[in-house]
Amino acid sequence: MLTVKDLNVSVEQQPILEGLNLTVAPGEVHAIMGPNGSGKSSFAHVLAGREGYSVTGGEVRFDGADLLELPVEERARKGLFLALQYPVELPGVSNMVFLREALNAVRAARGDSVLDVPAFMKLVREKAALVNMAPELLKRSVNAGFSGGEKKRNEILQLALLEPRLAILDETDSGLDIDALRVVADGVNALRSPQRSFILVTHYQRLLEYIEPDYVHVLSGGRIVRSGDKSLALELERRGYGWVTEGAAA
Amino acid sequence: MNAIAEPVEHFRTLIDTLAPSLPGADVEWLALQRARATEHFVDQGFPSRRQEAWRYTSLERVLDQPWAPHARPALEPDASDVSERQLAPDAVARLVFLNGRWLPGFSHIDALAAGVQVGSLHETLQQHPERLETWLGQVARTEISGFTALNTALIDDGAWVQVAAGVRLSGPIELLYLSGGPDTTAAHTRNLVVIGQDAKATLVEHYASLDDAALFTNSLSEVVLGEGASLEHARLQDENAQARHISNIFVRQGESSHYHGVCVSLGGVWSRTEYHNRMQETGAGCELDGLYVAGDGQLNDVHLDIAHGVPACSSRERFKGIVLGRGRAVFDGRVRVDADAQKTDAHLANDNLLLSRNAEVDTKPQLEIFADDVKCSHGTTVGQLEPAQLFYLRSRGISDEVARRLLCLGFATEVLDSCPVDGLRSRVEQRLQKLLAKSPVIAPGIEE
Repeated sequence: MLTVKDLNVSVEQQPILEGLNLTVAPGEVHAIMGPNGSGKSSFAHVLAGREGYSVTGGEVRFDGADLLELPVEERARKGLFLALQYPVELPGVSNMVFLREALNAVRAARGDSVLDVPAFMKLVREKAALVNMAPELLKRSVNAGFSGGEKKRNEILQLALLEPRLAILDETDSGLDIDALRVVADGVNALRSPQRSFILVTHYQRLLEYIEPDYVHVLSGGRIVRSGDKSLALELERRGYGWVTEGAAA
Repeated sequence: MNAIAEPVEHFRTLIDTLAPSLPGADVEWLALQRARATEHFVDQGFPSRRQEAWRYTSLERVLDQPWAPHARPALEPDASDVSERQLAPDAVARLVFLNGRWLPGFSHIDALAAGVQVGSLHETLQQHPERLETWLGQVARTEISGFTALNTALIDDGAWVQVAAGVRLSGPIELLYLSGGPDTTAAHTRNLVVIGQDAKATLVEHYASLDDAALFTNSLSEVVLGEGASLEHARLQDENAQARHISNIFVRQGESSHYHGVCVSLGGVWSRTEYHNRMQETGAGCELDGLYVAGDGQLNDVHLDIAHGVPACSSRERFKGIVLGRGRAVFDGRVRVDADAQKTDAHLANDNLLLSRNAEVDTKPQLEIFADDVKCSHGTTVGQLEPAQLFYLRSRGISDEVARRLLCLGFATEVLDSCPVDGLRSRVEQRLQKLLAKSPVIAPGIEE
């Protein structure tokens, strides 16, 4: 589904990713861990098409397409989704309008018909219940004045509505208390399927207690320095990142 | 284009020609007012850019034609012209004007509660001028510019609205000002609105064109609010791209009265709106919400002159501007708090969204405070669409164009939400979508 080959990225001439390789098959859940500044979030943003990153080498193929050539919205329409660490507030833009525009854009790309308002309302209420989101948040401006937990739930709601092929969750656990984390994780787990893949970008092992990954990778110095199964995350939790990153440097 | 070399001379001749035929020409107090206004007009002429209030606004694009009233427009409106432009289908009364002249056929003023009068100023001046003597010309300060003086010198027609003490209207009063060619037609519309003690009303005005002719509207409204009175006063200026439009709104507020103005200005090649609000008795409150849009080739200018003359009044002004293409906007918001006006609460905000590299806005919020126990604030922003917000929308599959439109509408939402009638809100939303779709929005830092 996703193949990243020797990806090199820099920001303002500073290398951020240096030869990153990753392959994600349908249905797999990959966790990407690493110390602060290791390039985890940058990797997530590069995949989604955020401005400000220069790809200086390598390639990314997503379902056969050259992902890096596609504009941001085309990547989303092809089924790539990035849940942000800091979801953006859109004052004055109704959450309902935002969700409907997004869903209909993605549906149109898949060849599905535009959902009318009643059908959309029914669907969005159903999905909001899945992430335990208060219905009044649907009527408010997108993320404006939402608590940290509400913003994250809104991200997972979008994920549930848009049904992407590949969902990248960037530090979704940050700033969440244990109850909110459980709700978000339950939402994600409910969306796991043999066709849908996930990349979980996280600093801590905590999230992985709730969403069990198939693979764990450690990113350091702009490349993956170690890969393993979920036991690697436990080991990182116990021993810190030092032993992996130092070993890689040596 | 028939440029006129001496605009003051042109209008003076016009006043001399029209004066004998104006309604109430033989009514002494009215004749005196018109004569004084004429004198003012001839003495001071039109404003120049050397005057602070006109610093950013050139008159070249408004005084370039021999404007004159035309009795018979090229196009007579039909019922659909009127119904298409209605903003308040549930209006308890509707007056329709064409080029400043009342059209009785399209107006309805029936089913009004006792003590409510809605009608043509022209008719009233002819039949019962004494009903207007107390107020007409008493609120407006005719001398402030050549435009206000000219309007008063030519007082002819417009809306006359009176709501007696204690009356609460069950629905809005709608005023629809249509304009249509031939070119060079001018309308010096004059409105008088008097809301009695503890009365409550909603007034919705819509200025719209029937065709693409170059027309000039010079409107002046006087609004009087009695003690405890409350008025929701919404205006939409949506004339064609050739229109020249100036509106002066003078509001005098009694004790504990409440005025809420909503001002949406979208049309015209040259457009200016001036609010002059006087809070003359304690406890009065004034709120103004405004949205102005200037597209390619348009100038859209807003001036506020809010005066707190007595203690314990509050005012809140919130104006938002969207400037596209080579559009230009001016916001000059002045709030004056006199030495006696202790316990004043005044807040002025102006936010502007520039959607192209060539868009321009001059914004000047001014708080002049002479009292020491007050709560006052002002804030101005000029910005572009946030790249992070655009990315967020696009990362959900929404096209760049729709993302920009959603953000622009979001920017205007607070003002849209303040509309007292739904028809105005939805109309403005539709018009905004259209204006934004027509004018390509340029991303920050990208060459056109």
